[in-house]
Amino acid sequence: MSGLLSKHGMILVLLALCAFFSAVTYREQSPTGAAAGRDLASAISKEFQGTPQVLIVARDLPEDAAFAAELEKAIRAAGGQVVATVKGEPRDAREAILKLVAVGTKIDFVAGTQTTSEWLVFENLAADFPTLGDPKVITPRSYFWPNFLKADNLLNIANQIAVIAIVAIGMTMVIITGGIDLSVGSLIALSAVLATRFIRDAGGAENASPMGMTLACLAATAVCGLIGSFSSLMITRFAVPPFIVTLAMMLVCSGLAFTLSSGQSIYQLPESFVWLGRGADLGLPNAVVLMLVLYAIADVLMSRTQLGRYLYAVGGNREAARLAGVPVERILMFAYIACAVLAALGGVIMASQLRSGSPTYGNMYELYVIAAVVVGGASLSGGEGHMFGTLTGAFTIAVIQNGMNLTNIESYTQKVVLGLVILAAVLFEKMRHR
Amino acid sequence: MRRAGSYLESWTVGTSVTGTSQAEFTLIVSRAVILLLIQISGAAMSESRTQLPGPTRQFRPMQLVLGLPMLLAMFLFSGCGTSDVAEKPKELKAVRPTKKIGVSLLTLDNPFFKVIGDHITSAGKENGYEVTVVSGDKDVAKQGNQIKDFIVQGVSAIVLSPCDSKAIVPVIQEANAAGIPVFTVDIPCNEPGVKITTQIATNNLGGGREAGEAMIEALGESGGQVAVLHLKQVESCQLRAQGFKDVIEAHNAAGKAKIEIVAELESGGAKDLGYKATEDILQSNPDLRGIFAINDPAALGARAALEKAGKAQQVKIIGFDGQPEGKQAIKDGKIYADPIQFPDKMGDQIVDAIVRHSKGETLPPQILIPTSLYRQADAAKDTELQ
Repeated sequence: MSGLLSKHGMILVLLALCAFFSAVTYREQSPTGAAAGRDLASAISKEFQGTPQVLIVARDLPEDAAFAAELEKAIRAAGGQVVATVKGEPRDAREAILKLVAVGTKIDFVAGTQTTSEWLVFENLAADFPTLGDPKVITPRSYFWPNFLKADNLLNIANQIAVIAIVAIGMTMVIITGGIDLSVGSLIALSAVLATRFIRDAGGAENASPMGMTLACLAATAVCGLIGSFSSLMITRFAVPPFIVTLAMMLVCSGLAFTLSSGQSIYQLPESFVWLGRGADLGLPNAVVLMLVLYAIADVLMSRTQLGRYLYAVGGNREAARLAGVPVERILMFAYIACAVLAALGGVIMASQLRSGSPTYGNMYELYVIAAVVVGGASLSGGEGHMFGTLTGAFTIAVIQNGMNLTNIESYTQKVVLGLVILAAVLFEKMRHR
Repeated sequence: MRRAGSYLESWTVGTSVTGTSQAEFTLIVSRAVILLLIQISGAAMSESRTQLPGPTRQFRPMQLVLGLPMLLAMFLFSGCGTSDVAEKPKELKAVRPTKKIGVSLLTLDNPFFKVIGDHITSAGKENGYEVTVVSGDKDVAKQGNQIKDFIVQGVSAIVLSPCDSKAIVPVIQEANAAGIPVFTVDIPCNEPGVKITTQIATNNLGGGREAGEAMIEALGESGGQVAVLHLKQVESCQLRAQGFKDVIEAHNAAGKAKIEIVAELESGGAKDLGYKATEDILQSNPDLRGIFAINDPAALGARAALEKAGKAQQVKIIGFDGQPEGKQAIKDGKIYADPIQFPDKMGDQIVDAIVRHSKGETLPPQILIPTSLYRQADAAKDTELQ
């Protein structure tokens, strides 16, 4: 247990954060759908003796339609009368009411979901439309549940962090070798622009075939891989510090992305391009599935293979590794190319999520990615770190960002909190090495 | 709002109670979490004294160093928020829990957007809305995530100024699919396939016309050569320049002292580029009499170049925006006049539009806020300037 904690202590912090945000986002939830409709109908019949005249108000959404249909059926079955059913916006509700006023119908209840009952059109019904009688606004019984723990939100978090988490795999390898890659943010932008330009100019724009899109994305990834190999060559052959090389490449790639896109976003893409970023074939979003698969592969690679051991060896003590016969240069090249390729993949996913490519993507992402790796327990001096930790680190950042959005913390404060977290993580890493 | 008898009365009373108890609950839980962490780390510490240093040692300082500041910060910041919630139900008696508006603006670095955000917050509060304002930081992916978080919260309305009108489309479609009305402020989104309830922006064409009139007024009887400092890729700036040119052409057609537009250069809407562009214009047009800059930074850049060339008296500048720095320059006589925008009115109008939509009124697809010409005399009366 203690061994596990020492390796994965961050997960405790992550769980504590989840518990914290669950507590602070514990809110009233407004039920909708068929069950809520039945519930409301029985409340109406309990409330009103005789034949209640009911106006049903729902939005134009599938779950609201089910709610309205079930409610109408149940009210009719109980002997009530549904004078009208509104499906749409406040404006539609107003029109329906005006129609009822015109024919002089009286209503006893306005039945709707929590959301529709909040519409201001119902605020002063009796005063605004005196001929309606004295209608009461009624909604299904609400229940309490944390917004944070809604299934939609948890998927949301995973989806939001997928790009950063995938790029962080490559960054973990680079940081384990004792290096750093500042160019990943720009590579995300470059790859998004390249992939979307290839699709627009060579793949047939809106009519591109799945094959064409795949090739375009592979080509973009290959170009970024070449850039990664160029950086690694500078680092290994010419012994330029990785910080400088990748800082330079960050500027180069960002400039290229702006040039190739003329500073505009490229959006002439087929609808099916969003499959990778927004599809969910296995219940989970495809990008999240891809992220999990990549982490599984990376974890095996780092912990079970010779390549993984060499990466740690190079980062732990490069000279010793060289003397022990580790091909240091090849290992370093592998790390930087893998990092560039994964950044390119992140760019493709982002382009797919937003169905467009723009040179402004990935701005500051290198910092979030490095933060995820460091919060996950990797040492910036190399030789230490693991994939599971990085994944935890990425999720920690995502949970903090999402939680702060859900608890209405404004942007300025969000930056302060996130900065403090990163600083605390680095302090921790210093203390570990004392 | 009237609610049905006992069934819902119990519900309404319930909310006011849960409003307070929820805040208390939050405080208790967050305290418990912090105490738990202190205990864990404390236990780990004492353990380390009795045991040989082993692998466990590595994880101990983390709870203290990492967990505590993080949770404390969170506790402090969100603590402020929840205490608000606790007070509201008392104030408003047994009304609903607050309705929410989620706002994601292009950036909050620019005071213009900050003012919009502040006014949405205050006007929203008056109308019983809890408003969250976040900055998209000009990063459309970030803005997309913020809007998805708003959707999860089930806000009553979403307000945004898109960081990228095209790339934001799928996210707006998600909000449409969740039945949440979407409003834009300052920057419109006119893409097909999205449903925007209404768009609120400055009347840039009208503002450009006012700038043209100010230029005619500044040059007086003699007319002369003028230049435009442009920001061509931005639609609002194209409209400003268009309005300006319309008025100048009409003036010339009426046979009055001719005003000739001799140059239209890119200013980037920034001081440094406005400065360079003005230097270039002065090289080719030494007799220049006026400059219209599409925003205040470009106008201030132009002023710096004129001062350096010793032509500050000869050339009159018309700016645009009415940012504090621009207003100060008008007061000091450095800029002749600005058509000023009203971010405060934009914020108020957005909330008004949300309320009207919720009342079932039909809104126009676009609401334009007119500009107003701001001269030195207005600056002298302006209490916001020292």
